[in-house]
Formats: sequence, C-alpha cells, structure tokens
Amino acid sequence: MTEMFLTLEGVTAAYSNMEALRRVNVQVEKGKIACLLGSNGAGKSTLIKAILGLVKVVEGRITFDGEDITREKTHRVVRRGISIVPEGKRIFPKMTTIENLRMGAYIEQDEQAIEERLERVFELFPRLEERAHQIAGTMSGGEQSMLSIGRGLMSSPRLMIFDEPSLGLAPILVEQNFETIQRINEEGTTVFLVEQNASLTLEIASYGYVLQKGKVVAEGTAEQLTDSEVIQSAYLKS
Amino acid sequence: MTFLDILLQQSINGLMLGIMYSLVAVGFTLYFGVLDVINFAHGDFFMLGGFMALMLYAIAEAVGFAGNALVVVIYLFIGSMILTGVVGVVTERVCVKPVSKAPMLISLLVTLGLGIAIREAVRVLYPRGSDPKGFPTLMPQGSFNVGNIVIRYENLIIFGLGIAVIMAVNFLINRTKMGAAIRAVAQDGEAAMMMGVDLDRTIDITFLIGSAVAAVAGIMNGFYYGQTMFNIGAMMGVIGFSAAVIGGLGNIYGAIVGGILFGLLETFAAAALPYGAENKRVFAFLIVILFLVFRPTGILGEKIFERV
Repeated sequence: MTEMFLTLEGVTAAYSNMEALRRVNVQVEKGKIACLLGSNGAGKSTLIKAILGLVKVVEGRITFDGEDITREKTHRVVRRGISIVPEGKRIFPKMTTIENLRMGAYIEQDEQAIEERLERVFELFPRLEERAHQIAGTMSGGEQSMLSIGRGLMSSPRLMIFDEPSLGLAPILVEQNFETIQRINEEGTTVFLVEQNASLTLEIASYGYVLQKGKVVAEGTAEQLTDSEVIQSAYLKS
Repeated sequence: MTFLDILLQQSINGLMLGIMYSLVAVGFTLYFGVLDVINFAHGDFFMLGGFMALMLYAIAEAVGFAGNALVVVIYLFIGSMILTGVVGVVTERVCVKPVSKAPMLISLLVTLGLGIAIREAVRVLYPRGSDPKGFPTLMPQGSFNVGNIVIRYENLIIFGLGIAVIMAVNFLINRTKMGAAIRAVAQDGEAAMMMGVDLDRTIDITFLIGSAVAAVAGIMNGFYYGQTMFNIGAMMGVIGFSAAVIGGLGNIYGAIVGGILFGLLETFAAAALPYGAENKRVFAFLIVILFLVFRPTGILGEKIFERV
C-alpha cells in the first residue's frame, strides 16, 4: 500500500467568481515526483492556490499527511512542511540573496539549522554564494530562478511544489532546473511539479495528471501518459 | 550674530521640527508598503498621542504619582505609545484593512472620515476638549550657548529622543525577523505568505509601530510648544504625507529625509522671507509642489508606487 502525502478530493475552487477547478481529484505519493500538466488557463495555478489557501475552496477536501488542510490559512499550510517555488519566481526584489534565502526559512527558529541549510543551498547553487549580497532584483533571470528554488528549500520542506519552473527560461537553464528538481527528490523531498512542458516533466515524474478547463481529463504513470492520446495530440505533437 | 550663526540657529530649529515630521512620515510609508493604503487619519494619531499623554498625566496627578520628572516622562511616552498603538491596530482592523483592496478613492475617503471621527471624539470626550491644552513642564528648562547659538535643554532632549526612535524603527525594520516580514509583505504580500508569514499579524504590527511612533511625535510636539489641541492632526497629516512623498513613498529613509527637509524649509522660510512666519507653510508646500512636478518619485524613490 503506497502512502498518499497530498490529496485533493472533489475540489472545486473559485477564482475571481469564475469556477476554475471542478471536482478535481489529485494524489501525490510520498517520496515521489507527481506532475500536473496543462496548458495556460487550464486551472493549474488555481489548484496550487487552493492547496495554499489563497483561493476559496467551494467544495471538496484537501489533506496533507493525513490531516485536513482545506481552507487553512496560507502560513499555517506552509508551517506543516509544504513549500512552493511560485510561478514567475516571486523573489523579493529589494532584498539581497541572503535575505531572500532567510525569508525562505522564516518558519525556522533554530539559527544553526538555517546556517546549515544556507550551506546546502550554496552547495547546490554555487552561483548564489557569489551573489550572496547582491540585490535580488538586479540579478539575471537564471539566477533569480535558482534563488527561488533555493528559497523554497530553506524551510526544509516535506513537500515541494514547483509552479512552472520552465517558464521564461532558456532551454539549457530549464534542463538544469529539472535536474535540480530530480536531485531534490532523490534527497528525500516529495515533489509536486506543475508544468506546461510535458516531455521534460514526464521524464522525471513517476505519476501525472492532465488538467483541461479545470477538470482532470487524464491520469496515469509517466509511461502511460507519454503514450496517451491526450498527451500525444496536445503536448508532444512536434 | 553673524550670518553663519543665524543659519546654524535656524538649522537647529528646523531639525527639531523635521524630526517630528519624519516620525509621522514613517507611518505613511509603512502603511503604504504593507497595505497599499494612504492613511489620511495618521495625522490624528499624532494628535491622539499628545492627548493620551495628557490623560495619563492627569491620572498620575490624581493618584499622587508625580514625583520624579524623569519617571513621569518615561511613563507618559510608553503609556501613550501603547494606548495610541492599540487604537491604531483596532481602527486598522475595523476600517482600514477591509477597504485596502477597494479602489484607492474608497480607502482615501474612509481614512479621511476616520481622521475626523478621532478628532471629534477627542473634542467631545476630553474635558473642555475644544480648548488648547497646556502641556506640563517636566523637562529641564534653561539653555546653554555654543558660540552665539542658543540651545535649550528641553529641545536637546526632544531631539535626542527623536533620533533614538528613528534609529529604533530602522533597527526594527531592517535588522529583525519581524522587520523582514514587514519588508517582504511590502514587496510581495502573497510571496511573503508562501514563506509562512502571517499577513494579518504583520499588518497589525505595522500599524502598532506606525501609531506608536506618531504618538511619540505628538508628545514631543506638546513639550516643544507647551500645548496641544484637538485639531492639530489634520495639518500634521498633510505635512507627514508630503514629507513621505518628497522622500519617495514606501522608502523609510526617504520619509526621514523628507521630514527633515520639510522642517528646514519651513524654518528658513519663517526666518528669511518677508511675512515668512505667517506663510512658512505656503513656502514649504510650494517647494513640495515644484518637487513633485520635476521629480514625482521623490528623492529616494525609484519609481512611482515602488515600496519599502
């Protein structure tokens, strides 16, 4: 019996009065990489916001590690061990690299733990150590992307959600990001990867869902999805 | 007195006022940062701070606790900061935060109304509230000379206090975890929540700090002029807001620079221009207008609506 870490059961969520999610069922297995594929406007961001308590969940239930987190306030959800690398990086532009990373560890009180995690992030992204005291808003897109991922790691999360980590990055940087995500997973963190880039995502994910117009239209293992009609026709037809 | 003496003497007077203005301007900048709101009631918290101190002094006198002046002064400042801060948080929850997502026009009207409500409440509730209220003489009187420049002990204490409060605010915002949360909320509120920041609590703390700091300025003002009145908040609100805008709305250092600049402008206008004393604010606001025409982002602002 596999252990489900994050589950969404029949979740309907409203976003500025438009129903963006309709009775969605999604499960993320502990220790694995699960993915959610979908084009722009399919409702991927709304789904993430529903998990984080940033949009209103009209019906359904969301649980994390067996506990109900539906409609819980964002900072409480985060304190349970969920961290997010948001779409568009969303770093704090006027803070330095270090300050941004420390914000990532906001929920951590133990200064020694924070120092250790900083070291780990710098080991993963040596570039960030070089830029430690630079104002984040002045860094390149690739560096900001590293910073956003590094910041997400700083809370030492049990589940990490990535929202479109490939968006707006050069192909070489996208591949680096995906390798990093894989490495983070191998070191023990469960990953929920939300992406448009189906081919790369299915290479590293073990299970996936396809979202269209707010509904899950297909799900299965990465192999099943890669071969499936819906993915072949909509995402991999090049 | 030489020209240089006059210049120095006026600079000292201007700095005195400027520090008070800075303390009020900091609140405008903080609120704009975390809530995107321009709180036009903020000047009335400055006034409220002075009246809270008067009320606390009356209580102290009534119970016969009025011995050591230093102890009383500390009691007045801390007591008024707490009371004014609490009123600040309560009003933020009841009527500022609920309208912060609405169009700016709405929050503008609501905060203007809140200011009037506070003003009138003080007038109605404080005994003989329409009259000017004298401030007790608690600071050492007298003065000393440096060359030809006269410095009053009282002003020196007030000035030192103002600098200390500004440094404390700076430390709080830029060197503590709580301050980091406030800055993060100002830069990207949703991202801050994703880091585990409790948004509502951070907004409360910001209003607690802003109102308490305005209260300090209100008490300083009372000691400086020897009196206060229920309606001084309106003008102080406009001055504090102008100072925050000159400095660059959303930038704490900008608010401090803007406040001091406004204080200096006013003092020099009063001393140097014909009919200056009556029209010092006309002159100061004229400079503000010119400033906004040629540099609408303020001295330290990077772009319009850039925050903390």
